[in-house]
Amino acid sequence: MPVFNSMPMLYEIEGKQLFKENKIPVPRFRAYTDSSSISQFVEEIGSDVMMAKAQALSGGRGKAGLIKKVSSAEAEEYIQSILGRDHRGKPVEIVMLEEPLEIEKEYYLAVMLDNESGKYLIIASSRGGVDIEEVAEHYPEDIFKESLSIWDDPFSYLFIDLGKNLGFEAKTLTSFTNLMTNMVNMAKQRDLTLVEINPLILTPDKKIIAADSKVVIDGNSDFRQANIASLKSQRDRHTELEFEADQAGISYVQLDGDIGIIAGGAGLSMATCDLLEFFGSSPANFLDVGGGADEIKIEKSLEILSRQNIKGIFVNFFAGITRCDDVAQGIINASKKFEIEVPIVIRLVGTNDKKGISILEENGIKAYGEMEPAARKIIELVKGGN
Amino acid sequence: MAILLDENIKVIVQGITGKQGTFHAKSMIGYGTKVVAGVTPGKGGQEHLGVPVFDSMKEAVEATQATASIIFIPARFTYSAAMEAIDAGINLLTVITEGVPVQDSARIRQKALDNDVVMVGPNCPGLITPEASKIGIIPGKICAKGNVGIVSRSGTLTYEIIQNLTVNGFGQSTCVGLGGDPIKGIGFNECLTLFENDPQTKQIILVGEIGGTGEQQAADLVKKEITKPVYAFIAGQTAPPGKQMGHAGAIIHGKSGTAKEKMRILSEAGITTVKTSSEIPLRIKENL
Repeated sequence: MPVFNSMPMLYEIEGKQLFKENKIPVPRFRAYTDSSSISQFVEEIGSDVMMAKAQALSGGRGKAGLIKKVSSAEAEEYIQSILGRDHRGKPVEIVMLEEPLEIEKEYYLAVMLDNESGKYLIIASSRGGVDIEEVAEHYPEDIFKESLSIWDDPFSYLFIDLGKNLGFEAKTLTSFTNLMTNMVNMAKQRDLTLVEINPLILTPDKKIIAADSKVVIDGNSDFRQANIASLKSQRDRHTELEFEADQAGISYVQLDGDIGIIAGGAGLSMATCDLLEFFGSSPANFLDVGGGADEIKIEKSLEILSRQNIKGIFVNFFAGITRCDDVAQGIINASKKFEIEVPIVIRLVGTNDKKGISILEENGIKAYGEMEPAARKIIELVKGGN
Repeated sequence: MAILLDENIKVIVQGITGKQGTFHAKSMIGYGTKVVAGVTPGKGGQEHLGVPVFDSMKEAVEATQATASIIFIPARFTYSAAMEAIDAGINLLTVITEGVPVQDSARIRQKALDNDVVMVGPNCPGLITPEASKIGIIPGKICAKGNVGIVSRSGTLTYEIIQNLTVNGFGQSTCVGLGGDPIKGIGFNECLTLFENDPQTKQIILVGEIGGTGEQQAADLVKKEITKPVYAFIAGQTAPPGKQMGHAGAIIHGKSGTAKEKMRILSEAGITTVKTSSEIPLRIKENL
């Protein structure tokens, strides 16, 4: 499990497409990667004003001027002005146009798979459209929580009390309980760990509509959620190198220090980063090859690091399910295929370590048995090279 | 004594004929673990590594009276393998597999709770009671019998810590690798309580990571109920601020916090926190 890898979140528009497929009401919307054929959408929604929303994986779109109510005459120019604009390190590539909603009241709604209890938690508030953490702090009585066992079906009747607490009645109450059923079923069927709607809007004609979407997926479920795993957001949330690593099953996060790290295990990889800082240097990345990594993964890791701007490489393995001979062979294979231009220090112990060390020795490479001396050595080599 | 695992516990290896299953079953047998059977559907009736292979957990349990199982099975099949193990009546389930969908883990966990099964993992190195038995992949040669209990969210980092202890003359009662996934079986608190009640264990080491709130809950428990000295190391001290699971998570459990915050909370509960893994034996020596 990547520990501090970027969260697998979807774009708002991808989330809304999922909502639509799962009968959760959303405004009519369309995606634009250029500003053509806007008139068609204007005709479809029968309104001359609309919301234009840049799609981004970081928050703060409103403040950055990336969400705006525009007229059909302004839309084209606005879309052109924000496409390609940088938002927190990533260019805007998609703008969503959406029909405007008349608002009577705004609500907050979330379904999450809770790590502590292993249950689905439903969190709802009649104070939506604002920062929900502030609501929780100032108006805790206006936040309602329900939990649902992982084994239970989300029947509509289970949500009647919640709907009444939020103030829904008559037909709207039924719309709400149906929406809840659909939302939990969607989370279960699509392996979503968080579905957040803020705001959920009640219109003057008493319809409830999801005006926003925040969806987090479970990366471990990619094998059975191919449609979601292949969404654009899942490519865009990584840097190019991170994406390549991810495709190879390697947890890799780019940092901005000097020494590239290849380690086995998330905890050891983090502890390796910590140790370099503790000794006065800095890690260029977090890299966990995962349990049972083979020589191909090791070779790939080195290839990824060779494309990062680094001054040295520290390979740190205390192998359990991984085998040191595979690690050693991967390093040798890599060194035969491409030049490793920076100093490299290898610490190798655990499963099959004697075999691994002798593979390295046959190729004139010394391996360390302990982590701290090895860390000091690579720091010394990197500093000496300056 | 020790916790959860002793030399008498009979173990079934699910996925024994696979590459990982074979390799680590062999290592477990070599360490002295009572591996009494393996299960691989379609290979029932064969013998592998000197133990009988069965088609199902039910058959394996009936034939051997084993009470524990360990899963070396690809992530997409882990859910059904774990269900099968619980239905067959085992009471200690260890899931080594990495990459199990969190919803599957939640389902296995609930089923384990409902059936009083102790679940360890997934995505974990398992457990070892030195000189008695191991279920999992912790290298046996780095361990020594002694009175330090270890409970950890990490795998390889735990090996690092065990080795540092062993080299410095501190053996272990039992080492438990809980696993690094957000939803898992037993946690810090279950193990802390078991160690507290285990006469062999004289001090406890807790190895945490950034993310989640398990360390904070452990701090609460230690303050209230644990009388033995506890030492803690938290990995990820220099990691960039972890991203929150949206706002919903923060409302339910508060912010999970950085390694520094976790260390502060642990210190306040009377736990000795260390900055590097090699510092642990030094602190234990000081306190003796």
